[in-house]
Amino acid sequence: MLTEVHVPDDVTAALSLMASGAKVMAGGTGLMPWLNDHASPPTELVCLRRVGLGTVQVSGTTARLGAATTLSQVERDASLGVLWPVVRSIASVPVRNLATVGGNLFARQPHGDLAVALIALGARVSVADQTGTREVSVEDLVAGEASVGLVTDVAFELPAPGDFKYVKAARRRFNSASIVTVAATITVTEGVVTRIVVGLGGVGPRAQRAKAVEAALLGEPLTAATVQAAAEAGLGEIAPMDDAYASAWYRTRVFPVHLRRALLGH
Amino acid sequence: MTVKIVNLKVNGVDKALMAKPETTLLLALREHLGLMGAKRGCAQGACGSCTVLLDGDPVVSCLVPAVAVDGAEVGTVEGLADGRTLSDVQRAFVDGFATQCGFCTPGMIMSAEALLERNPDPTDDEINEAISGNVCRCTGYEPIVSAIRDAAATRRASAEARV
Amino acid sequence: MARVNPIDGEFFKSERTSGFNVIGTTVPRSDALGHVTGRTEFFEDRTFPDLAHVKIHRSAYHHARIDSVDISEASKVPGVLRVITYKDVPANWYTVLRLIGIEPNDEPVLAEDRVLYAGEPIVAVVADSEAAAIEGAARVKVGYTALPAVFDVEEAMSPDAPVIKQAGTNFFVYEGHHARRIRFGDVEEGFAQADRIFEWRYSSAPIEHAPTETTGCVVVPQADGRLIIHTNTQAAFFTLDNTALILDRPFTDLRVKGGTVGGGFGGKVDVMVEPLACIAAALTNRPVKFVYTREEEMQVSSPRAAERIYIKDGVLDDGRIVARKIMLYVDAGAYSRHSPYGTTKAAAHLPGPYTIPNVYADCHCVYTNRTPSSAMRGFGVTIADFAIESQMDRIARALDIDPLRFRLINAYRDGDMKAHRKVASGTALIEVIQRAAALVGHDLPEEYLALSSSTPGEARS
Repeated sequence: MLTEVHVPDDVTAALSLMASGAKVMAGGTGLMPWLNDHASPPTELVCLRRVGLGTVQVSGTTARLGAATTLSQVERDASLGVLWPVVRSIASVPVRNLATVGGNLFARQPHGDLAVALIALGARVSVADQTGTREVSVEDLVAGEASVGLVTDVAFELPAPGDFKYVKAARRRFNSASIVTVAATITVTEGVVTRIVVGLGGVGPRAQRAKAVEAALLGEPLTAATVQAAAEAGLGEIAPMDDAYASAWYRTRVFPVHLRRALLGH
Repeated sequence: MTVKIVNLKVNGVDKALMAKPETTLLLALREHLGLMGAKRGCAQGACGSCTVLLDGDPVVSCLVPAVAVDGAEVGTVEGLADGRTLSDVQRAFVDGFATQCGFCTPGMIMSAEALLERNPDPTDDEINEAISGNVCRCTGYEPIVSAIRDAAATRRASAEARV
Repeated sequence: MARVNPIDGEFFKSERTSGFNVIGTTVPRSDALGHVTGRTEFFEDRTFPDLAHVKIHRSAYHHARIDSVDISEASKVPGVLRVITYKDVPANWYTVLRLIGIEPNDEPVLAEDRVLYAGEPIVAVVADSEAAAIEGAARVKVGYTALPAVFDVEEAMSPDAPVIKQAGTNFFVYEGHHARRIRFGDVEEGFAQADRIFEWRYSSAPIEHAPTETTGCVVVPQADGRLIIHTNTQAAFFTLDNTALILDRPFTDLRVKGGTVGGGFGGKVDVMVEPLACIAAALTNRPVKFVYTREEEMQVSSPRAAERIYIKDGVLDDGRIVARKIMLYVDAGAYSRHSPYGTTKAAAHLPGPYTIPNVYADCHCVYTNRTPSSAMRGFGVTIADFAIESQMDRIARALDIDPLRFRLINAYRDGDMKAHRKVASGTALIEVIQRAAALVGHDLPEEYLALSSSTPGEARS
């Protein structure tokens, strides 16, 4: 049962409330559906609406997004065009006006497509607690089990034009969870892949980095054959599940197709 | 458990209410302020029947704790018509048979109003995206999309006429 | 703007006795202004001082014996006003269709000593707030002994299956028979005459109506003890009568206010929330709301029944169907609800709009440990049509006959004797196929265009 909703004015107050056991809520699109209809232990929420984490800064090629930045803000920010297809593939307009960048890192699969993209972009988050602030990669944060403190912002280097790829397969064109999501940042130099980071969604309990796919492609040209081989390597590191959107069988079956579409564009 | 006073400007009018922690913006509007236009269809943010404008942007009000939006401006379907004169979107929904049971209609209309504020000449694809969070189970989306298209045309025509 | 399709007055001119003044014209909806301004009043769109809320503790098992129910922790939750068990329900056993003579009463309002499906209501909690009712319902403790569950209709019909129903059979008994039956001509003789035999199996999954507004009601006790029920039921009088019977009170004690339904599609014709809300309102003397959460609507509101249908056809090389045998199974889930009627509707629809001289059908209304199914738009008919028309397409393909011509050859006509021994009238199937073919540019030979549903077929055995 919800016993209190705190709306602190700064991060310090939020951290002290968290230290006394309150649960963080950013946009509420993950927590509120459960709290509205189900019994729960006495729960205090710390709402991040007013703590001042809702701004986007781009300096040079570095983008820094406050954790409470909404997905709609990203969608409207002229400097974040690289993320537009990502956020527009997530939920619906009235949900994107609430849902946040930080919150998406904790969305349960098959949601959390922004986390997939941020993994591929090599993004890092600042995590604060009462002892200080540390930096961790989105990849490690999303893979971790433990509670982590308060994510205050997410930063990444804007990729060179064309280097970032994103494909989300879903049941409908808009507002549907992931069947398979593929995001990748790839640099091709003199015909071969010299740098590659691949993030995957919909194919396991968490958004994940696809290291076997990356290893299979590094140093290779991007061709139908090499991508096919990389997909086969990738099958060993995914563990899709059955849900209302697709079966594990289907996800496994179409993963290579969507990897190909993401990396080769067809 | 703390009950807090929440101030809202609803359809341009200052309102205050006493909210419990579990009082969502939707319940605040419905049960405290008597504005029944926004509906509770799922309380999961999935059906869009509770869509209202929060500081100008459409949100699913069932997922917003009222105390978190103290001081905000809220727009609901009740604020659209000017006396008996319907908004262009409302008029187009009536004329275009874009309603059937009527349960999704207020949320659908708020999403449409928000779209046309930002984008006076949307493509069908943009309309589809704007209402993708509003579930309709009986009317069918075709008359709804076509009503929004008609409303956009009417709004553009009256904007031109004013110039 | 609204598109209006003009009426084609060419067909059946002699049968038109009056002009259509409204059909084909644009008439504004009388309720549209209320809908677009948010002023249409749905059942939940009113507030009552002192409104209390009902939430349900539901079965965690598909099939189990209930050994114990402990409500002590639930009663202690602050704000909980009353915990309701089957002992508080005056006439706990019912079946909605008893109003038209269907027996037996096979469903409890609240479970007594056993549960037959996951999600079956066991205890209702009434509280000051929704949150307290949710908390109270969660704190009810039920002890179970799991029993073997049956999930498949044919398995449920087999002699080795555990009998899950207290009436003694896993199927509804139609006037002493295991199924609603059709016997017309001699189907075995028809198969013997046939040049080709085709037999296939068709099946469907349950389908949830998913209305945008979930099932619910608000019951307001009056000073004299009568109850006003604000509800979104699609069946006001079914609800009133069944609720009064469950409460064991005169019909005149209840007043149902409804008719405004936020999507129904058949999903709101069972009597699910009103009896418990009335009992809660009467026990607490407070207005009470009982509305399904979305999860409840998806999990426990009755869906369209899953069906399994076997169709065996005997066909002559010239395309005439001479025999059709159908074995149809409707998965009623754990309780009857409207399924005995839906199964009869399926039988009434067979063998489809075709004149076939030999027909044999067994339509079974089968009980399993799944969510009870019930009404949904054309229930009984829709899935049967899917099977029959799939069968027609497959046979046409196998015989290398144009599927439309295959249907025209077998189409029923005015004056034909149907398998139910009713004379067909107002059939119009031939004309509809002809017009549909023209609209999609599908050429039909002259002799098929000359067919008419109002002239008898030539020697159609």
